[in-house]
Amino acid sequence: MPALDLTGVLKPARDVRFRRIDDEAVVVRQRAGEVLVMNETAARLLELADGRASVADWVEALAGEYAVGREELERDVLRFAAELAAEGMLEPVPASGEREGEDRGV
Amino acid sequence: MGFEQILRKTWRDNVLFSVLVELTYRCNLDCFFCYNDLGLRGEPLTTAQYLAFFAELRDLQVLNLTLSGGEPLAHPDFLKLGARARELGFVVRIKSNGHALRGELARRVRDEVDPFLVEVSLHGATAATHDRQTRVPGSFDRLRANLREALGLGLRVKINSTVTCWNEGEIEGMLAFADELGVPLQLDPEVTPRDDGDREPLSIAPSREGLVRLFSLQAERARAGNGAVSVAREGDEGIVPVPTEKHCGAGSAGIAVDPYGNVYPCVQWRRPVGNLHRQPIREIWTGSAGLREVRELTVQAKAVVDAQGAAGPLLNFCPGSAATRTGDPLGLYPDAVRRAEVLGEVLEREKKRTLLPVVG
Amino acid sequence: MTFGAAFLTHPDLFPARRAGAVWGDRTVTLALPGGPYRFAGLNPEQAAAVHGRFGAHCVAATAAAVETLVFRMAEEEFRTIDTRGWEYGLDLDPAPASLRLAGMRLAGRLDWRPDLAGSLWTPDAGGVSFAGIFENLFRVLTAYRLLELGGVLVHGAAVVSGGRSLLALGRSGAGKTTFSRQALARGLDVLSDDLNALRRSAAGTEVEKLPFTGDLGDAGSPGGRFPLAALLRLEKSPEDALVPLGRAEAMGLLLACSPFVNVDPYRREALLANLASLLPAAGDPPAWALRFSLSGGCWPILDRQCLLSISPAS
Repeated sequence: MPALDLTGVLKPARDVRFRRIDDEAVVVRQRAGEVLVMNETAARLLELADGRASVADWVEALAGEYAVGREELERDVLRFAAELAAEGMLEPVPASGEREGEDRGV
Repeated sequence: MGFEQILRKTWRDNVLFSVLVELTYRCNLDCFFCYNDLGLRGEPLTTAQYLAFFAELRDLQVLNLTLSGGEPLAHPDFLKLGARARELGFVVRIKSNGHALRGELARRVRDEVDPFLVEVSLHGATAATHDRQTRVPGSFDRLRANLREALGLGLRVKINSTVTCWNEGEIEGMLAFADELGVPLQLDPEVTPRDDGDREPLSIAPSREGLVRLFSLQAERARAGNGAVSVAREGDEGIVPVPTEKHCGAGSAGIAVDPYGNVYPCVQWRRPVGNLHRQPIREIWTGSAGLREVRELTVQAKAVVDAQGAAGPLLNFCPGSAATRTGDPLGLYPDAVRRAEVLGEVLEREKKRTLLPVVG
Repeated sequence: MTFGAAFLTHPDLFPARRAGAVWGDRTVTLALPGGPYRFAGLNPEQAAAVHGRFGAHCVAATAAAVETLVFRMAEEEFRTIDTRGWEYGLDLDPAPASLRLAGMRLAGRLDWRPDLAGSLWTPDAGGVSFAGIFENLFRVLTAYRLLELGGVLVHGAAVVSGGRSLLALGRSGAGKTTFSRQALARGLDVLSDDLNALRRSAAGTEVEKLPFTGDLGDAGSPGGRFPLAALLRLEKSPEDALVPLGRAEAMGLLLACSPFVNVDPYRREALLANLASLLPAAGDPPAWALRFSLSGGCWPILDRQCLLSISPAS
């Protein structure tokens, strides 16, 4: 996957299912048959990764939720998003064709 | 927090997490011990109603959606409903008899529904025994062929087998069947009455000897490291949450829905607590007096089981099954008591062989 | 071809048990040979369609000898059939204790558990098309019900005069409807020009009217049982004549004209036993090959030989 930047659009990987239980996310990776419990930050990012919003949009949404400077927030979000993508939890949406009808998380 | 703690929270805080939907009571097999109440009447939920229901479940943060029946593939809009369930991000399980799961339909299930798991039922290690249960000649051979095809397509499969007096002599054979395919097998030691209370299926409940054989085999395999044998009620995800105040998650973390919109605490406990034709699920979940009572009953059920001491966990007690059998969800029914006795004896024998506990 | 594949999009999902969502809570009970037959799970439009087709036979709810449930099935579960040049047929799949049927917009079962019960799945919510689907199942149901009562459903035209009947058998095109029209012109009653019930009683082998007709439709004849004066094998011919048939030929004729059950290997013995009891001896009842022409010249011959009661043609 090419380096992620703020214009990138991500969505949960095809075999990932997740739900938010309070401030955590229960994540199921179907192919691996794995169940993970992830923290609030991961839960929030998975919610925001709806296949339409860019990472910049995520930062905008999170700016009101975290008492952190903008630059630091951007760095953290990009890093975390990249980690989730590297783990196969998120995948990029091609720039030219958005999938319709996807409504995967919350 | 680990997953077990999450499950504990859902039970404790009444967070709806798992829903089983009986899409239809139509079936392309005719199993003798099927628990469906075929005389039940009502207005079937429409496809539009199901789609709206699924959206509401997503909003409630339900993760697990099991499509069952009858035979769920026999619902004319199964693929549409399954695909929508996938789009909404559910972990979709399909409980199918596997009889029609081949060719184009199997491919479409994989591509459009992408289920987490397809659970099929095996009733014996031989065609004679399996077909005796299904009452459709050729169903065993068809199941074996379809399973190979499904696995070849990349579908994830699990086999559920209920032990009966017809197949209790073929448990090793059923394990070998599953081993050969490389799929897990879960053995359910309890035959249940039909949901209308008809006790006819109990006529093929496993014998004492059959249960001894089952639990002994389980212990043997654990000792030999041949792969654990899962013995649990069908529908249990095999995950036991850390101790809670409730006996189970029925009505607290899970519900079942029949084709006519009736909502139940679980697939076993056939006490209607609402109907989707009359109320949306959120209203039922938060406002049903029936569910409130059920949640309290699961607390009481835990007390009843705990009062049995060491025998308690061995009972594999189900309040829903108790309600159907005896009218009393807290009544310890004879099959549970017998099972606990047999398992206790087997465990005692094992203790003398090894210090390792055997999970029942 | 796999059973049902000609009619159903997913024959693998054919119902193996009597289950599903019924159409409604209406019930219709029909008093007909082998009955009463009760049909339950209908919606109001379906019940009205059944009344419209079989109204003369509807009775108040009563203990039924055979019950059939009517279930919903979706349109998309059935293949679209181009009926131009298509001859209607049913796909039948007999088994020791059941029978599966598939047809145009119809899936059905007969099950013996141990008593006979019927099931019908259809996407038709009422109207004339539902009445047709209903009748297609009902014909098969009647055939099997009569079989278990020692009788048989017969593909033939039955005419009555002076309280006695003639049963004219033959394949499609043999002239059953022509024969029936000639009978009507001579003042005979026609029970049905297509399907009739044949049963044995202390009075001998008798024909009973069924509401399953061919091109002639219901000719308005009375119900009841009519002793069989003669069994006839129809043969179109330029000249009219009656040629005696032996018992074996007569049994073969009835076997060939016993629709649905005559292709069921599990009921072959029962069918043959029934036919033997319906034709217990040579001449009981008499059997003839009837060579008949369009002139109607066969009727005086039939009257002399069999009925002794026919009036001259009007």
